[in-house]
Amino acid sequence: MLNSVIAGLSSGGGYALLGLCVVLTYRLVAVVNFAMAAVGAMGAFTMVSLTDDGLNVWPALFLGVAVSAALSGVLGAVLIRWFGEHNERTKAAVTVAVYVAVMAVGLRLFGATSTGARRFPAPFDGAVFRIGDVVVSWAVVVSLAFAVVITVGVEVMLRRTLVGLRLQALSERPGTAQVVGISAPRLATAVWVAIGALTALVIILVAPRLGGDFSTLGKLIVTALAVAMVGGFRNLPLTLGGGLLLGCLEGVSASLSEVREYRGVIPFLVILVLLWWRSRHEVWDTAHSR
Amino acid sequence: MKRSLVRRPAAAVLALAFTLAATACAADDGNDGGSTKGAIKVGSINGVTGLFQTPEVPQAVKAVFDEVNAAGGINGRKLELISKDDAMNPQRSTENEVELVQSKGVVALVGSSSAVDCGVNRAAYKTAKIISIPAVGVDPACFNSPDIAPVNPGPFKLLTAMLYYASETLHHDKVCLYYTTLPGSGGGISDAIKEWETLTGKQLAAKDTAVGEGDPTPHLIAAKQAGCQAVLYNAQVGPWFAQAQTQGMQNVDFIMGANSYTDANAKLVPAGMRAYVGTEWQPYTDTTLPGNARWAELMDKRGIQRTAFSQGAVMAADVFVQVLKGMKGDITRKTVTEAFKKMSPIEYPMVGSPWVFGPDDKHNPVQGSRFVKAVDGKWQVLPEGFIVPGKK
Repeated sequence: MLNSVIAGLSSGGGYALLGLCVVLTYRLVAVVNFAMAAVGAMGAFTMVSLTDDGLNVWPALFLGVAVSAALSGVLGAVLIRWFGEHNERTKAAVTVAVYVAVMAVGLRLFGATSTGARRFPAPFDGAVFRIGDVVVSWAVVVSLAFAVVITVGVEVMLRRTLVGLRLQALSERPGTAQVVGISAPRLATAVWVAIGALTALVIILVAPRLGGDFSTLGKLIVTALAVAMVGGFRNLPLTLGGGLLLGCLEGVSASLSEVREYRGVIPFLVILVLLWWRSRHEVWDTAHSR
Repeated sequence: MKRSLVRRPAAAVLALAFTLAATACAADDGNDGGSTKGAIKVGSINGVTGLFQTPEVPQAVKAVFDEVNAAGGINGRKLELISKDDAMNPQRSTENEVELVQSKGVVALVGSSSAVDCGVNRAAYKTAKIISIPAVGVDPACFNSPDIAPVNPGPFKLLTAMLYYASETLHHDKVCLYYTTLPGSGGGISDAIKEWETLTGKQLAAKDTAVGEGDPTPHLIAAKQAGCQAVLYNAQVGPWFAQAQTQGMQNVDFIMGANSYTDANAKLVPAGMRAYVGTEWQPYTDTTLPGNARWAELMDKRGIQRTAFSQGAVMAADVFVQVLKGMKGDITRKTVTEAFKKMSPIEYPMVGSPWVFGPDDKHNPVQGSRFVKAVDGKWQVLPEGFIVPGKK
């Protein structure tokens, strides 16, 4: 049982990273981006296709990240220009449409589960230490560290820097921000580009653990959204905790034969209960602040 | 009022005319498969677009039929394949069945390869008293229907062969199973395990039939703790082997199902890890194996992709032609169904046991599997030949 918990925790860092990308996008540009993982997977597959063709891993990584950044930038620009005045639901619906399109194109370009699976470079596969039967690799340490850096770094940036202040203003009151002289479209597009690049890095980091084909990577958005829900789409440290919780629950449910058959459902049930618990004192129609 | 009076009879006459025309067309096409002249119409339902894509299957069946036709056909009659794409869509699969069986009047279905055909059309095949010989049987209904007999062992007989290989050929005492179960196939998996238990008197050391997507580490740790020497596995290849390597499971034999037998998957197995795949036909990657030479030559001549599925297509077409050649008298749906229900088994070099249709209520004639191992990013055929459970 303890071994399973540790095994689960070791995957928590990856889940947390995915969730953080969703929360980050929501806090900075106020969009629930369903196409996030698919856009990241585009970059990841660009990279792995280039390394398969013999390109050195560093330029390939740069180009892969650039592809995701550019795609994300285009998506952001479209949302800002054509859907800027629409509400969050419409923007989310646009990203769902983009998700479907990116998945279809990705499947065409990179192949299906059995024919298009690729081996991703796993530079952090070496063992660091062993707890019980579980070997903990550098990848676990790196994902956790990366998740902590994002959580702390973004909080500090939003609270302490001028860019952070402008970003907050932009996401909460875009109209007012523009009136006081913040160049909304340009700044928001830059944020989309940065998030695209970050997502590509995250997907590349989790790929050796969570899936080597395009459709599996694109569908990681489901896990990402579940983790983001724990943080209520706004709280970064809670999102980090949510990732670890999800990993932990998966580990435990895999070890208990009674509930094993329902392994896929359990984490989501727990998250549902958590959400209910957190919102138990909320009054009907309370406006959520970000 | 006046207008409608004029229109209504007109509409009725039109409808009647349409009905008559449709009936006439159907009768002309021989909708009961009773035609005794002209080409012998054969149908197939294939996934060409959609999630389960096998465009090479109808091409390969047609290649065999063309060969037969060039040599004079069957008693002077040509074979005509009518293949329909169902795009893995049950609704379209049903429509395909209606068109092929009822409108076109095909005498049999040969070389179907669809993930939904057997399940949605089995009842219709029974009513129409028509037989189907799928090139690739996918869902459980392909293996437990009275009118369907695929030419592949299918996931369940393959599982028995994989278990048998692990315990009897590789001599492992602790055999474990980590499987993703598709809806409706849980019973088939249990039966396959039971068959192996009865044959060998052994039990699984660990069993998990709910492996999903996500980090495989918890499953690998469970396998490690159970002391598994062989692990049977059927889900995603990449993450499983990457994490098994991290967890130091280099001394475990991982045995996967035929769905993992692709070039891409061979490259995913890290050096030092032991990965095997149980194949359904002679491994397609080696054209020198029995039966493969003719298939490979035919595929290359017609520019068709060489895959395991196209092997199934050639085999389905071959056994169909062989039975038809042995028939005397008219070739209609009725006589074809009778011939297959009464046929004697056919030895076919590409599979581990003879293929037969016969009068049974369910058919899974092909048994056994041949194994390949991942070596340097390629699948290498192992020398043992077909492993048929219970046959030393």
